[in-house]
Amino acid sequence: MTLANGTADRAPALAGRLGWQRGQPRAGAQARRTTRTGLTLISPALIFVSVFALFPLGFGVYISLTDWPLVGAYHFIGLSNYTSLIHNSEFIASIVFTLKYTAIVTVPIFVVGYALAVFVRSNRRGATLFRTMIFLPYIVGLVAESYMAVVELQPTSGTANFVLAKLGIVGNTTAWTVHTGLALTAISVLVIWFAAGLTMMLLMAGMQGIPHEIYESARVDGASWWSIERRLTIPLLRRSIALSLIISVVGSFLAFNQFFIITDGGPGTSTVPVVMSIYQEAFAQLDVGLASAMSVVLVIVVGLITFVQFRYLQGEGD
Amino acid sequence: MASVRNRAGKQGGAVQPTLPARRHAGGWATAGSGAGAAARSRSGAVASAGRKESGTVLYWLGGLAISAVFVAPLLWEGLRSLQPESVVTTAPSAKTFGNLTFANYQTLLSGQDDILRNVINSLIVALATAALTALVATLAGYGFALFRFRGSGVAFGLVLLAFMIPFQAVLTPLFLELHSLRLLNSLIGLALFYTTFNLPVGVYVMRNSFLQVPRELVDAAKVDGASVMRTLVSVFRPLIMPGVATTALYAFLFSWTEFLGALSFLTNDTLFTLPVALSNVETGTYGAVNYGLLLAGAVIAMIPCIIVYVALQRYYVRGLISGALKG
Repeated sequence: MTLANGTADRAPALAGRLGWQRGQPRAGAQARRTTRTGLTLISPALIFVSVFALFPLGFGVYISLTDWPLVGAYHFIGLSNYTSLIHNSEFIASIVFTLKYTAIVTVPIFVVGYALAVFVRSNRRGATLFRTMIFLPYIVGLVAESYMAVVELQPTSGTANFVLAKLGIVGNTTAWTVHTGLALTAISVLVIWFAAGLTMMLLMAGMQGIPHEIYESARVDGASWWSIERRLTIPLLRRSIALSLIISVVGSFLAFNQFFIITDGGPGTSTVPVVMSIYQEAFAQLDVGLASAMSVVLVIVVGLITFVQFRYLQGEGD
Repeated sequence: MASVRNRAGKQGGAVQPTLPARRHAGGWATAGSGAGAAARSRSGAVASAGRKESGTVLYWLGGLAISAVFVAPLLWEGLRSLQPESVVTTAPSAKTFGNLTFANYQTLLSGQDDILRNVINSLIVALATAALTALVATLAGYGFALFRFRGSGVAFGLVLLAFMIPFQAVLTPLFLELHSLRLLNSLIGLALFYTTFNLPVGVYVMRNSFLQVPRELVDAAKVDGASVMRTLVSVFRPLIMPGVATTALYAFLFSWTEFLGALSFLTNDTLFTLPVALSNVETGTYGAVNYGLLLAGAVIAMIPCIIVYVALQRYYVRGLISGALKG
């Protein structure tokens, strides 16, 4: 984080010194050449982003104002799709469920990730190895791990019940995916285990950017470990903390894979997150207009979170 | 912050200014632990040698215990994937636990539940995405860093705007668009989609790589009169390779593990990527549900990630630190 900002601060100065760039007085022909070269170099990226990200976004907004069927003509119906969303109990339920899931996993991911970052930020031999190992579940991906969870959450044959029954925590026939609360618990534990490593890496990167001198003077003053952490590290880490929280919250908002694979939204429709609700509306109900309206709502919510993140990160210059 | 960077810069920055970032990111621990160990051994020679030693032992014990929480489940699944279906789906028993066999893998990679094709599909898409993202992001980073013009700031903002669009939320319109472009049910279409959503991070990383090229080199190249592309290939290439590696690595891991997009845009099961093909194994589309096969398939899905990450992790960490990561 801090590194990137440092680089960005330096960029305009460096840019000014480079002869190839804007801001440097030069002949018109040369300026035109720079423009042509620059445009040529960036055009593939612009085409990709315009065709497969910006256009679909605009197209989605357009579709959401129609009764788009898969075949045949469509009509503009104004904001009807949006007003019907307010009364769409399945969509509302999926939002409520997603908020609940996000609320459950965010704090544990952060607390575990922070504790791990404190542990692996050290200079000691072995810290790099531990870092690599703790980060592996994130690298491997939630999809493969969800398939493994399917096997291990089986009531009589799964490892989860076998271990937990030995510890006396649950009975050895607990059916994890048949009960909403149990399913949510199992998925939350899986996700915390999966995502804590990412928070650890992001916070550790921030911690390593704090100059050692600051700590040395605090230690000379005889401050305790916790008060150093609370009064020095956490305030200096504001940006990294914000970044890791936003990434984790946005990730939870967009959750799909683990629910699709482990519960398929069940029992009933009690574990359907927003993205799955959109997926079903579009690809099972084939109501493209309504699905697009749901998507627009999701873009706005996620966009707001990301926007607040950028504002926060840019506003707190040091 | 600044002082850390300057110190790293003094160590090796004069020659290769991309080094400070890399040293700070990936090499931090290695360089730091060397210095730390030296400092410890000097001070340790006096009085607290015994306490430092026991501290180190405690740190290792703690670290191994914590690491086990994260790694042991993965190793455990590796072991379980070697058990025959009959053992995987019955109550755990010490008698049968040790019956290990490669049967699941043999069935998956050669039998009627042929997922070898899906592994190859996944590899094609992931490698194509990695190569395409690295190429397009390198060109764009070059342009944004060294050939600025009126409007290039706006264009950069446009690319970063895509960073704020969750791909999960444009799946429906994208489905219709890909359909009319005849890119639905196409590995190329999927790779183009993956490339797009890896570009914002890639362009950001590559632009920073080019901004770190020393001014003398840029000026020398200009005086030399070499063409733009020739300068890129012969002068800048060695300096920007770490950025290229970071970009390609992110794109590879993203497409190898991506599920929802592949599930939505591929309906022909001969084209399925591995994660989607495994959902057929899970639901028994190919016949009876077989959890032994599912575990083996999931382990096959993990292996490339582990190899690629362990081999190239300093580039991954470098990307994380650049702060351009999306969850």
